[in-house]
Amino acid sequence: MPVDRPTFSESWYRVADLRPRLRSTVQIHRQYFRGQMWHVVQDPTNNQFFRLNDSAYHFVALLDGQRCVSEVWYICNEELADSAPTQGEVIQLLGQLYAANLLQAELPPDAEGLFNRYRKRIKREVQGHLTNLLFVRIPLFDPDHFLDRWVGVFGNIFSWYGLAVWLVLVGTGLYFVAGRVGDMASRAGGILDPANLPYLYLSFIFVKICHEFGHSFACKKFGRSDGSGGEVHVMGIMLLVFMPMPYMDATSAWAFRKGRTRAAVAASGMYVELAIAAVAAMIWAKTASPIAYNVMFIASVSTLLFNANPLLRYDGYYILSDWLEIANLAPRSRQYIYYLVKRYVWGVGRAQNPAHTPGEKFWLPVYGISSTLFRVFIVTKILLFVAGKLFIVGVILALAAVVAWVFVPLGKFLHYLGTSGELARVRLRAVVSTAAMVAGIAIIIGLIPAADRGRIEGVVEPSRLAIVHMAADGFVTDFMSSEQKVSPDGPPLLKAQNPDLETQLEQLEARREQLRVQKRLAQTREVAGTQILSKQIAALEEQIQRVEDQLRSLELHSPLESEGIWIAPNIERFKGAFIRRGDRVGLVASLDDLFIRATAGQEVAARLIAEAKGKYGTVEIRVKGRPDMELRGNIEKILPAGQERLPSAALGYAMGGSMATEPGDEKGIKTAARFFEIHIEPIVSEGAENRENVRLFSGQRVIVRFETPPKPLMVQWYRSLLQMLQRRFHI
Amino acid sequence: MLAQRRAGENLAKGLDAVCDKAVGLAGRMVPRQRQFLERAKRIVALEERFTRMADANLREQAAQLRDVFRCGRETPAQLELAFALVREVAARQLGERPYLVQITGALALEAGCVAEMATGEGKTLAATMPATIAGWRGRGCHVITVNDYLAQRDAAWMGKIYRFCGLKVAHIEPGMSSADRRTAYWADITYCTNKEVTADFLRDRLALGKCRDLSSALLAKMAGGNIGQIDRLVQRGLHYAIVDEADSVLIDEAVTPLIISGDAPNPEQIETFTQAAKLAAELDSERDYRFDYRYREVELTAVGKQHLDELVEPLGGLWKGIRRREEMVIQALTAKELYQQDKHYVIDEGKVVIVDEFTGRLMPDRTWRDGLHQAIEAKETLEVNLPKDTYARVSFQRFFRLYRRLSGMTGTASEAWQEFWQIYHMPVVVIPTNRPCIREYRMDAVYATEKSKWAAIVEEIKQGHETTRPILVGTRSVRASEHLSQLLREEKLEHEVLNAVRHAEEAQIVAGAGGAGKITVATNMAGRGTDIKLGRGVAELGGLHVIASERHEAGRVDRQLFGRSARQGDPGSAQAIVSLEDELVQRYAKHLSGSLCRRYGGSNSNVSSRLSRRVFHLAQRRAQRMALRQRKGVLRSDDWLEEYLGFAGSEL
Repeated sequence: MPVDRPTFSESWYRVADLRPRLRSTVQIHRQYFRGQMWHVVQDPTNNQFFRLNDSAYHFVALLDGQRCVSEVWYICNEELADSAPTQGEVIQLLGQLYAANLLQAELPPDAEGLFNRYRKRIKREVQGHLTNLLFVRIPLFDPDHFLDRWVGVFGNIFSWYGLAVWLVLVGTGLYFVAGRVGDMASRAGGILDPANLPYLYLSFIFVKICHEFGHSFACKKFGRSDGSGGEVHVMGIMLLVFMPMPYMDATSAWAFRKGRTRAAVAASGMYVELAIAAVAAMIWAKTASPIAYNVMFIASVSTLLFNANPLLRYDGYYILSDWLEIANLAPRSRQYIYYLVKRYVWGVGRAQNPAHTPGEKFWLPVYGISSTLFRVFIVTKILLFVAGKLFIVGVILALAAVVAWVFVPLGKFLHYLGTSGELARVRLRAVVSTAAMVAGIAIIIGLIPAADRGRIEGVVEPSRLAIVHMAADGFVTDFMSSEQKVSPDGPPLLKAQNPDLETQLEQLEARREQLRVQKRLAQTREVAGTQILSKQIAALEEQIQRVEDQLRSLELHSPLESEGIWIAPNIERFKGAFIRRGDRVGLVASLDDLFIRATAGQEVAARLIAEAKGKYGTVEIRVKGRPDMELRGNIEKILPAGQERLPSAALGYAMGGSMATEPGDEKGIKTAARFFEIHIEPIVSEGAENRENVRLFSGQRVIVRFETPPKPLMVQWYRSLLQMLQRRFHI
Repeated sequence: MLAQRRAGENLAKGLDAVCDKAVGLAGRMVPRQRQFLERAKRIVALEERFTRMADANLREQAAQLRDVFRCGRETPAQLELAFALVREVAARQLGERPYLVQITGALALEAGCVAEMATGEGKTLAATMPATIAGWRGRGCHVITVNDYLAQRDAAWMGKIYRFCGLKVAHIEPGMSSADRRTAYWADITYCTNKEVTADFLRDRLALGKCRDLSSALLAKMAGGNIGQIDRLVQRGLHYAIVDEADSVLIDEAVTPLIISGDAPNPEQIETFTQAAKLAAELDSERDYRFDYRYREVELTAVGKQHLDELVEPLGGLWKGIRRREEMVIQALTAKELYQQDKHYVIDEGKVVIVDEFTGRLMPDRTWRDGLHQAIEAKETLEVNLPKDTYARVSFQRFFRLYRRLSGMTGTASEAWQEFWQIYHMPVVVIPTNRPCIREYRMDAVYATEKSKWAAIVEEIKQGHETTRPILVGTRSVRASEHLSQLLREEKLEHEVLNAVRHAEEAQIVAGAGGAGKITVATNMAGRGTDIKLGRGVAELGGLHVIASERHEAGRVDRQLFGRSARQGDPGSAQAIVSLEDELVQRYAKHLSGSLCRRYGGSNSNVSSRLSRRVFHLAQRRAQRMALRQRKGVLRSDDWLEEYLGFAGSEL
C-alpha cells in the first residue's frame, strides 16, 4: 500500500469481535516528555513497562471488557479523527500488550502460547548472558519488605532536611580536603598497589552497597509520595568484568510521574556516595587512614567517572535521559542515526523518523555518536585489561566481543542490505553508497600512506665534561652552588682553607727570612758560606712556591676553556668539611656540546634501523614541560641491545619515564628488558645560541619524535597490534 | 483436524535459515533421479508376477497389502510390490500400463518430492500409485487438481483403479452440500481443487470457533457443550496431498488468501468511493501525483495534497480527515492508473472480474482488498459492491504447509527448487521423458518496439501457416490476445482465441489446436493440463510451433508454454518474440532496457543480440527473486500475527 498508515488491515477480523481489557493488576502512570503526554503501563508483578502515546492510550482505556475492539475503534475514529490508531496499529498494539501478558480476554487462556513466550524469554535472557559475559546479573533476594520497614528512617535522607545536612557534610568534606590536594594526588598513584587491592575491593563493596540502598530507599520514598508504590523486588550480584558487586532493581521508578523524581532516584546512589566520601575525607584528613582514603577515593572519583557518566548506561544516563525528557535515549538515538542514513544516504522515502520533537533531533545524534565512540573505547580498554591479567580468558572474551560486536552486526547489516523490503527500490543506491563508503575508508586506511611517527625518550647529556678534584687538602670555606654557569676566569667554584699549609708557609717564609739575614751576615764575614746559603734559600723558595701553589689551588676554577656548567649536587654537604686532595667535588660540563642519550625498546629501534638503511634521518626534539620548544637533531649512532642500565633514572617507569624497570630495583635504573641506546646530536641553528628558549640543558628529559617513511595506517595499526600482543603475551 | 491446529512450523530464521538452505542445496546433490529410476526398474521387473494372475487373486493380493499398509508395517519390498500391483490394475482397468518414467515419478511423489514431469507424460496416472498406497494407509489422501472439471474427470477416470484395489474415491465439486462433502472427504481418496479443500478447511475452523486444540475440544466435549460443533466438521484432517501443477498452486497462487466473508454493515461508504473516483479524475498526473508501475504505487505530491484539500472542501463527512481522504484518493488513483481493463480485470455482466495475471484466467470469486475493488468499480461507474467482512482467511501457502505429507507434480519445477525447499521442504526431482524430447528452440527474437514485435509475430504466423503447420501463440493478457486477434483478422487468417472461458471448452479447443493449419491464440496457461494432440500428418510438417509473444516473470511459465509443442517424442518448435517495451523488462530492468531502447531508437527491425536477450534473463531473475522474497515475507508476517494474536485464537 502506498499509504503511510493504511486505515484498514486484512487481519482485522481476528480481533474485531474480541472484548479484551487490561489485566486488573496493571497500573498506569501519566508522564510528560517534551510537552507530549505519554502513559506508562506497568505490570507490578514483574516490573515490565510499556509506553503508550496518547491516542493508543485512549484506545486501550476504552477497552473495558464490555465493548468489542471494533466498537472501540469506531469510537476512537470519531473522537480522534486522523490521530486515531489504524487497524494495523491496533493489531500491533494488542499483540504487544498480549505478549507482555498485560491483556486479558474472554477466551480461554492460551497456555501453550504462554509457555512458548516464557521459553522464548528465558532463551533470550540466556543468550543475553552469553553474549554479555562482562556484565552478568544474578538476582538473589527480594528486599522490598525490608525497605518498607526502614524507609521511614532512611527515607529522610532524601528530604529537604536531608539535603541540607548533605550540603553541610559535603561542604565540610571539601574544606578538609582543600588544603591537602597535593597529598591526595600523590597518594592516588599507590591506590592500585597490590597490597592495597583487597582493602580497595572491600571499600568498593561497602560503598556500592550504600549506593544501591540509596537508590532503593529513594525509590521507596519518592514512590510513596508519587503514589505509584516504588517497589524494589530484586537484589543481587552483578559480575562486572567478573568482579562481584551488589545491585538492586529500582526500575519501578520509571513509572514516576515527574521527570524530576525519576532523576532524583537515579541520582540518589551518587548522593549517598558523595556523603560517604565527605565523611571519609574528614577521617582521612585527621588520621591519614588508608582505608578512609580508599573509601573516599571510590565514593568520589569512581562515582563521578562511571556512575555520573551519561555515556555509559549507569545513573548518569538515566538522569540525562530524564533531564532531556527523552525516554529510551540510547536505543532511540541509535534508531535516529539509522534513520538519518536511510533517509539521506540511501534515500529511503518512507523511513520512520523516531524523533518526535525538534529538540530530539539535536540530542539523539549527539548522544548516539558520542556514546558509541565511548563504548568502543571502554570495551577495548576492558578487553585489554582482562587479557593482560588472564590471557586465555582475555582471548576468548575478545573473540566473543569481536563476534558479538563486529560479525553479528555486520552479518545482520549485510542481510538487511540484501533483503530488506524497505530498501527494495533504493537497494542499488544503498549498496553502492555503502560500498563506496567502505571502499573510501579502506583506501584511506589501507592504501594512502600516512606519516609514520614514533617517539622515544632521552636525556640531554654534555658530550664533554671535566671532573673537578680537590688539588690540596683543606677545609671548605666557600663554594658556588651547583648548576651555575662557570668560566675559567670567573669566580671560583670552591674555596678552602688549610691552616697547616698556611702555618707551613709562614714557617718557611720565616726560615727564608732567617736565611736571608744569615746570608747578609755571611757576605761580610765569609764569602764561601753565602753560596751555600743562597742555595738553601733557593730550595726554600721552591718549597714556599709549592706551598703557595697548594694554597692557590684551594680555590678551584673550571677546568674547561669554554663556558660550562658546574654540577655538584652534594656541594652543600662540603661546607666547612675537610676534603682531601684528590677527592671529587663535582664536575663541569661543557655548555655548547650537548647530546641526547635516548633509550628505545627493541621494536622501536628495529624500526629505526630497518627504515634508516644506513643513514638515520633528522628527528624532532621536544623538552618535557616545554611544549613551545622546537629543536631538531640527527641520530648519530644506535648502540646495539645489551644494556640494562638506564643512563638516567628519569627514563624509567619509577620516575615517570617510558622504560619498564625491574620492580625490585630501588634506584629504578635497571630495565626489565634490554634496550638500545640512541645518540642524537641536536642541530644548533645559526644565531640560536643566545636565545634562551632554544637551548638544551644537560640533564633535561626530552622526547624525540622521529618519522620513518610514510605507510598506510592499516600497516601501522597491524604492526602496533602485533607488538602489543607480543609485549603483553610474550608470544 | 483438531490435533492440527498448531501445525506448521514457523519459517526458519537467521542462522537456521542459512543452515536450512545449505541442507536444501546438499539435497540437490543426492542422485534422487537415479535412485528412483533403479527402483522403478525393479518394479517393472515384477510385472511377470501379476500379468497372469486372475482378477480375484489380484484383489486378494491387494487386500493383503492394504492390511500391511494400514498397520504401517510395510517394507521397501512390499512398497515395490504394491506399485507393481497398481500398475497391473491400471493396465487391466484403463488399458494403460504406466511407463518406467511414470513409476519413477510415482516413487518421487511417495517420497514427498516435487516430481517434474513433462506435460503429456501421464502425471494423472502416475499419481494413482502413491494415492492408492495412501488410501490403504487409511488416513485419507487429497489429490489436488487445478480445476473442478479435472477433479471430476480424474476421479471418474482413475476411480476404476482405486475401486479395484478396494478403495473408495470421491471428488468435491462446487455447490455440494456439506453432508455430501463429508462423505467425499471420508472416502479414501478425494479429488478436489485447492480452493475447495481450503474453503472447507476454513469453514471447519469457523465451526470449531474457539476450540483451540484437541485437548480443549475434548474438554468441551466432556463438559457437554460443544458436541454439535465438532460433528459439523466436514474434513477429517490433512494427512497427505498430491498437488497437481504444484508450481501453480504452491508458488504462483501461494499468497492468494482464501477468504470466507460476509456482508459488512456500513452502506454510507459507497458514496465515498464514487466521490473518490471523481476526485481522482480531477487530479493531474505528474503535477498532483506520481505513480510507480513496478511497485504498483501512487504518491501524492505536495501540490496534489493542497489541490485535494481545495477539492474536498464542499464534501465534508469522511473527507475531513486528512489521512483517510488521501488514502481514498490514492486508492482511486491506483485504480485509475495501475489497473487496466482487459489486462487486470474484465467487466462481465456489470461486474468487475479479476484476471489472474499469471494464468490470464478469470477469477470471478476473487476480489481485491482494502477497497481497491470498490475503487475500480467506481472508476468504471459500475454499481459499487460493499467490501465484505472477513470471517476467516488463509493463504494457500500456509494451508498446504499444514499437511503432514505433501508431494507435488508439475511440468516445471526445477526453476523453483529453492522455494519448494525453503517453504515446503520438498526436494525437486526431474523425471526424464519417456521418449527423448526433440523440441527445437529458436533464439528469442527481440524487437525495439511493441509495434514491430506484433508485426513480426503476424509475419511469423503467416509464414508458418503457409506450410499448414499448426501454430499456438501465447499472450500474457486478454488485451494482448484480442489485439493479436485483430491483427490476424486484418490479414484474413482464420484463428481461434482462447481467453478466459469455461474450463471444459477451453480444454477442448486446446486439445484441437494440433490440427493441420490451425492458428490458436491463447493466454499463457489456458487449458493447462490438457494435451495438444497433433493432427494427422502434422508431425511430418514439423509439429506444433509455439510462439510466446512476451516473456513471463517466471521462466517456468515460459517453459510451460513451450512445453505444449513436441510432446511425447513428437517434433515441434518454440520461439519467443519479444520487445524492449514489454512490461517485464520495463518493470524489472528499467535502466538497461531504457538505454537499449534509446540505442535502437525505435527501429522496426530485429535487434536481437546477446545483450538484448540478456536483459530479459536479468529481468526474469529479478522478478523471481522479488516474488520469492515477497512470498516469504507474507509467511513471516503471518507467523508474527499468529504469535502475537494468540489471545484472538489461532487462525489455523
